[in-house]
Amino acid sequence: MKETFTKGMARNIYYGGSLFFLLLFFALTFDTISELPDRDNRQAINESVTLGKKVWEVNNCIGCHTLLGEGAYFAPELGNVVKRYGSKAAVKAFIMSRPKDGVPGRRSMPQFNLTEDELQGVADFLEYVGGVNTENWPPNIQG
Amino acid sequence: MKYQSQSVAKLYFIAAIGLFVGQILFGVIMGLQYVMGDFLFPYIPFNVARMVHTNLLIVWLLFGFMGASYYLVPEEAERELYAPWLAKLMFWIFLFAGAATILGYLLVPYAELAKLTMNDLLPTMGREFLEQPTITKIGIVIVVLAFLFNIGMTVLTGRKTVVTIVLLTGLTGLAVFFLFAFYNPVNIVLDKYFWWWVVHLWVEGVWELIMGAILAFVLIKITGVDREVIEKWLYIIIALTLISGIIGTGHHYFWIGAPGYWQWFGSIFSALEPIPFFVMTLFAFNVVNKRRREHPNKVATLWALGTAVMAFLGAGVWGFLHTLAPVNYYTHGTQITAAHGHMAFYGAYVMIVLTIISYSMPIMRGRVANGPKAQVLEMWSFWLMTVSMVFITLFLTGAGILQVYLQRYSDTPLGFMVVQDKIELFYWMREIAGLIFLIGLIVYIMSFFVKHDDEVTA
Amino acid sequence: MNSTVKQSEITTKYHLPGDLAIWVFIFAELLVFGIFFLSYAFSRANNVELFNKSQQTLDTASGAINTLLLITSSYFVVRAVTAIKAGDARRCVNWLAAAILGGGGFLVIKMMEFADKFSHGISLGTNTFFMFYLSMTFFHFMHVILGMIILAAVLIKARKGGYSATEYTGVETGASYWHMVDLVWIVLFPLVYVIR
Repeated sequence: MKETFTKGMARNIYYGGSLFFLLLFFALTFDTISELPDRDNRQAINESVTLGKKVWEVNNCIGCHTLLGEGAYFAPELGNVVKRYGSKAAVKAFIMSRPKDGVPGRRSMPQFNLTEDELQGVADFLEYVGGVNTENWPPNIQG
Repeated sequence: MKYQSQSVAKLYFIAAIGLFVGQILFGVIMGLQYVMGDFLFPYIPFNVARMVHTNLLIVWLLFGFMGASYYLVPEEAERELYAPWLAKLMFWIFLFAGAATILGYLLVPYAELAKLTMNDLLPTMGREFLEQPTITKIGIVIVVLAFLFNIGMTVLTGRKTVVTIVLLTGLTGLAVFFLFAFYNPVNIVLDKYFWWWVVHLWVEGVWELIMGAILAFVLIKITGVDREVIEKWLYIIIALTLISGIIGTGHHYFWIGAPGYWQWFGSIFSALEPIPFFVMTLFAFNVVNKRRREHPNKVATLWALGTAVMAFLGAGVWGFLHTLAPVNYYTHGTQITAAHGHMAFYGAYVMIVLTIISYSMPIMRGRVANGPKAQVLEMWSFWLMTVSMVFITLFLTGAGILQVYLQRYSDTPLGFMVVQDKIELFYWMREIAGLIFLIGLIVYIMSFFVKHDDEVTA
Repeated sequence: MNSTVKQSEITTKYHLPGDLAIWVFIFAELLVFGIFFLSYAFSRANNVELFNKSQQTLDTASGAINTLLLITSSYFVVRAVTAIKAGDARRCVNWLAAAILGGGGFLVIKMMEFADKFSHGISLGTNTFFMFYLSMTFFHFMHVILGMIILAAVLIKARKGGYSATEYTGVETGASYWHMVDLVWIVLFPLVYVIR
């Protein structure tokens, strides 16, 4: 009767366990992807939303804000901002109105000098993200 | 130093420390921006300081992992590095590309940088931690492939040990998962789903293999405990890491549009993720206790033990605090996240790189260990940085608890900016702790320049 | 003389059949399944209606047959261990083969059950009950496969004469793992298929 837990046993558990869970992860990923069409609001993706995501990225909005809780924690969550501000127009107005030199003493958002199309794109993008089924997250309108 | 080519690691370690200093300077800037909102605005807006801070962190850790590999692989494989010239060339390319990228962030508005670097050809910019221009990302792939080739050839044509095989596996995983940084679909759910294949499968996956291998190497050298024992523990630790961490990825899939079953899978498996860190702590203390020799490099031993403890606390305990879905529902994307992130990264990855530097730098400079004055100074830096990091984490946790209550849990939730005002005190305290961290880092650098000390040369 | 007798007495008293490693592994597995079962129970307490209704669509007969198959194959494994302890490698191999066949039968019936559910459009996202039902039984399914692989490895080594009346730890190790897989099912079946 062997009492020793040998290196070989540990190695086998590492190989077997890792492979098993990797396969399981791939299986769950496959299932997730197949369930996404009913959850991810992809019907709302149009040219303006596509442009909006690009504008969102090249201006690094995620560097201050969170989107569905992910990003930086300097500025508010924007997944539900269209709902919070009441309309896309209100969101656009806010972005447009950011002073070039910031608000003295306050955390300031840059003025990005976006075109009308880009502004509309960002608003459409944020509305699209707001329509994703996030299992009822965030808990309230404040994000 | 047994093999001449190991000295290539010195370059990498020096660069790593230099970039570390840059990272902390920008961290201190951000901490001030949290309480003086328009500090340096519009020249260095918060998001720019942040991308400099996080990108410097990742790059200096990569320099650290590469240096660690260049040092330990020749010794383990019992042969010289396959192509030292390649290692030196890649060093300068990586350093130049990294510096250019950081300068790009600082000197040019981000949207401009995107245009300049032809982001439109293959848009990968603008996501957290992956802010690098696409051309930089391609450069990283090339540098990492060359590095893998160099290390791989050395490992595979030399004596293979569990340490080198695990290290190589981790590094290969690092390279493979980085490729997902190039996948940037319009579909925000798919975007986020696969973004985590870079981030989670790095820091809660293959990076733990790299960390484990480096720790095992240092402990073999310092304690003289039988390699068979240490390598067995290493297998156990990485088995636990992947068994818990792969499905544990699901704890990032709770609220981003993925199906609800991830709340179950993610919670259950990620709750197990502290276990490998706990085992790592047991392992480190056990092995040091059972040591067969008194190695003169005491401070390296301190770093090794400290790494295991802080990784367990920061990654394990603080991670566990907000990993269960019912809790995470309220804490997702708050200062709780920042608290965990700081202590986890410091405890696991900053400290393991500082451990291997502490062990190997004296050797590369011609002695077994530094003299008593230098070691004591370095020990001071250990305690200054580690304790101040604990306080940074505690203050952010306090900020986070208050934020969660006021903004998420309360029946009359307050707005984001209103709440940020209310938790300002915590941010001031965090900044003070951050300044002490910076002092600790300065002391750390000073410890390299202590003269006329009784170095242990044999 | 006296001290050596006492020595062997001590070792047999604290004797776990098979390698210590497999017991660490077994306890870890039981821990994970235990967490699954507890989560199921907790979830059911909050969704009794839904769980009862969905549960009724399960094929209890298949579940019962599968239970019999696993219990029988566990018995075969016990016979295999007894055989090798008596030095009879040939019989050991035969009993192991029978056990593996039993496992195979379990897999076939389980796959038919899965196929039936999927053809009715049921998947992980259908509702919480089915999320649990599918994940737990699939997770267990994978462990049956793993158990069969372990038994097959033991069988091959036994055929080559790798075990004897004095050296049979590997057989006990494989047997212990198989019994764990059986035990998990014996809890899972009533919990998920039967208890209302």
